[in-house]
Amino acid sequence: MDNMESNLLEKEKILIVKNITKVFPGVKALSDFNFDLYKGEVHCLIGENGAGKSTFIKILSGAFEPSQGEFFINGEEHKYFTPQMARKLGIQTVYQEDILVPCISAAENIFLGSETNNQKYFINYKKIFKDAEKIAKQLGVYIKVDEIYEKLSPSDQQFVKILKALAQKPKILILDEPTQAFNVKDVNLIIEMVKKISQEGVSIIYIAHNLDEIIEVADRITVLRDGAKINTHTKSFETFSADKLAKEMIGRPIDLFYKKKESLVGQDVFEVRGLKLEQSSKEVSFKVKEGEILGVAGLKGAGSAEIARAIFSVKKKYGGKIFYKGKDITPSNPIESVKAGIALITENKKVEGLFMDMPVSHNITIVGLDNIGRFFIRLSKERKISNSYVGKFNIKTSSLNKEVKFLSGGNQQKVVLAKWLFKNIDILIVEEPTHGIDVNAKAEIYEFFCEFTASGKSIIMISSEMMELISLSDRIIVIRNFEISRELIKGEINEENILSGFMGGK
Amino acid sequence: MLNTKDINQAVSKKVSIKSRLSFLNNHITYLILVIIVVGIVTTILNPNFLTLRNFFNVMQQFSILGILTMCMSLLMISGGLDISIGNMAGLGAMIFARMLLAGISIWISVIVVLIVGTVLGFINGLIVAKSKVTPLIITMGMNYVFLGVAFILAGGRPQTISDQFEFLGGAKIANIPISMLILLAVLLFAYFLRKYTKYGRRLNAIGGNVQAAYFSGINVDLHIISIYALSGLIVGLAALVLVSRFGMVRADTGSDYALQALAAAIIGGIPLQGGKGSVVGAFFGVLLIGILYNAMNIIGVSSYEQTVILGAIIVFATVIGNIGKMKR
Repeated sequence: MDNMESNLLEKEKILIVKNITKVFPGVKALSDFNFDLYKGEVHCLIGENGAGKSTFIKILSGAFEPSQGEFFINGEEHKYFTPQMARKLGIQTVYQEDILVPCISAAENIFLGSETNNQKYFINYKKIFKDAEKIAKQLGVYIKVDEIYEKLSPSDQQFVKILKALAQKPKILILDEPTQAFNVKDVNLIIEMVKKISQEGVSIIYIAHNLDEIIEVADRITVLRDGAKINTHTKSFETFSADKLAKEMIGRPIDLFYKKKESLVGQDVFEVRGLKLEQSSKEVSFKVKEGEILGVAGLKGAGSAEIARAIFSVKKKYGGKIFYKGKDITPSNPIESVKAGIALITENKKVEGLFMDMPVSHNITIVGLDNIGRFFIRLSKERKISNSYVGKFNIKTSSLNKEVKFLSGGNQQKVVLAKWLFKNIDILIVEEPTHGIDVNAKAEIYEFFCEFTASGKSIIMISSEMMELISLSDRIIVIRNFEISRELIKGEINEENILSGFMGGK
Repeated sequence: MLNTKDINQAVSKKVSIKSRLSFLNNHITYLILVIIVVGIVTTILNPNFLTLRNFFNVMQQFSILGILTMCMSLLMISGGLDISIGNMAGLGAMIFARMLLAGISIWISVIVVLIVGTVLGFINGLIVAKSKVTPLIITMGMNYVFLGVAFILAGGRPQTISDQFEFLGGAKIANIPISMLILLAVLLFAYFLRKYTKYGRRLNAIGGNVQAAYFSGINVDLHIISIYALSGLIVGLAALVLVSRFGMVRADTGSDYALQALAAAIIGGIPLQGGKGSVVGAFFGVLLIGILYNAMNIIGVSSYEQTVILGAIIVFATVIGNIGKMKR
């Protein structure tokens, strides 16, 4: 440790954090956390959901007040920040769901609130478009700066968020999972961009779940677990290994590839026949067997999400029928889909899956209310049942009455799963089941999938994560341009074949 | 090192003590405290305040607002809103008075008013559910429609039925006003519906997140339309109490009630955007407004000043309610 420090001694420490502790009622979110940041470095924070990363950056950006500890910025001591102080000291944070003004242009968003580039009362559009384009180009990104923000693609929106933070000329830039909802190509763009920013002397705190991405971008990595710092690694071949880092995050060895138990796959039970997503698009047909996990692979925008939505009938279909055990069950709305035993878990669980202001127990029972009473809800039965689901899924919550919005992402995803399991459905369509979820919760969710299929039920799993697709699927269909470009049976499932499916190869 | 199970247990133990004390952190508790403070101050100024008779008096006077507040709360918890309920009640009362004056029997008239209320609520619900336009605008428009129809029916004159139908508004059983009993019955019904029925739970889910409700296979439109219709039925009941209490109906008799009911619900802790809150809280919201009016009357505050003070209290209560949320 001492050796490493001395190597970096010539570098200037711009932030030192000493013994920060943050206690929430019932939980110690951060305990005695020490951290430092050199000028111009990319310092990554990794850890499972709930490890304390978000708490730490919220303290840095002034959203939370720490219970104990102090900061040194430019040698000055601080006990806490307000958001204004943080900004004044040059700390800018780009949150995951930090939403800009949707109905004005990207360039206006970038310079919103930074008066240097605005005249006092009027906006010089020509100038801000030109300036925005210039700083974007310097960082190697090409976005249409005069486009309305909400019309930009998710990745371009992310770039705009980062550019907006940069327009404030920060000394410290905090990026909270900047690559969520990105495909591989755009992740690389972000990594390049982050490296360029750091070379200009801005220090970056970078949070992400994907270890490969972190290893690529980081100068140093700090591992957090249960609110405490486990280790800080300086870039080197040995320490920067995904396996080792994952072990430190979890505290026990894990396999990055989930090893699926062999399960018995039965006869065809579910069939999608001639599904048309657009008036002019080609028909999509496939079958799912009893006890099977059918992987659906596709890049963002390839159409797999639309197929799921059309099957569940939350999106209009232009033809096609759906059969279960030979019977035509084609639903015309989600009410009929649920009745027919189909469930859809979308990626956007906060909007389409959860009732954030309702307690955990009410979220679990909402679809299967019929199971806890005819007209009236038997509250004691509801409590008992939700308690058993909380236990079964290992949902970490201080009480059944806790509102779901207070749970971490992984636990929220488990609540969504519990909700459908309680309804006793036959076909589970799930989109990106483990996106943005920590490794531990991931394994638990995979375990649940296997249990579910072992009972003879089937899963259609739409995913863009290779490892997930390869290790879980009994069969994979690859979607490209709103049609099935390739079907892979056991033995053919590997990364190359999936990738060639993406490109349209056979 | 503790494992997660131990931590979970420890946390849940702590919380169980906390949850026993959680009433201290509860909106309804604050409302009751405020009511008590107002009560004590007024009693010191005028001991006549603290009598059972005066309390019944307040309840009787505010029973119509109370019943309408229950409608508003049920709608708001379901993510809706209906600011036409005041004039809907006025229209119902007008129809009732015209029928009685035309010599139609009381029972038929009662049933017709209840049906009219249900149908008007149904129409509101149907438009809101199918158009997906914000209910504020729809019901604001309907508010004028109802008021206008009541004016047409009135033909420019107040309709006086004198003592033909005093039972609901003025009569008492063992000194307890019947209108108060009706209000309590509606409160009980709303509470039960909200807490113990699947229907109420689904309504709450719709109010919390329509999209997730839709994705959960809940029949969103059916629930929205039916709760507006149910609310209309209760508005019909309020219309009957209204006629009975005053013995005379003007076309704009109900005009003030809707916004007052909205205010009472908000004071009672239901946010304007809905999806949360309790009907019991809204009931205490009504009670607070009622007791304040009564106290101001007893102390001798003029009715103009009362209006100013009520308005200020609505602003104050909502600001206070929001301060709790702004804390970190």
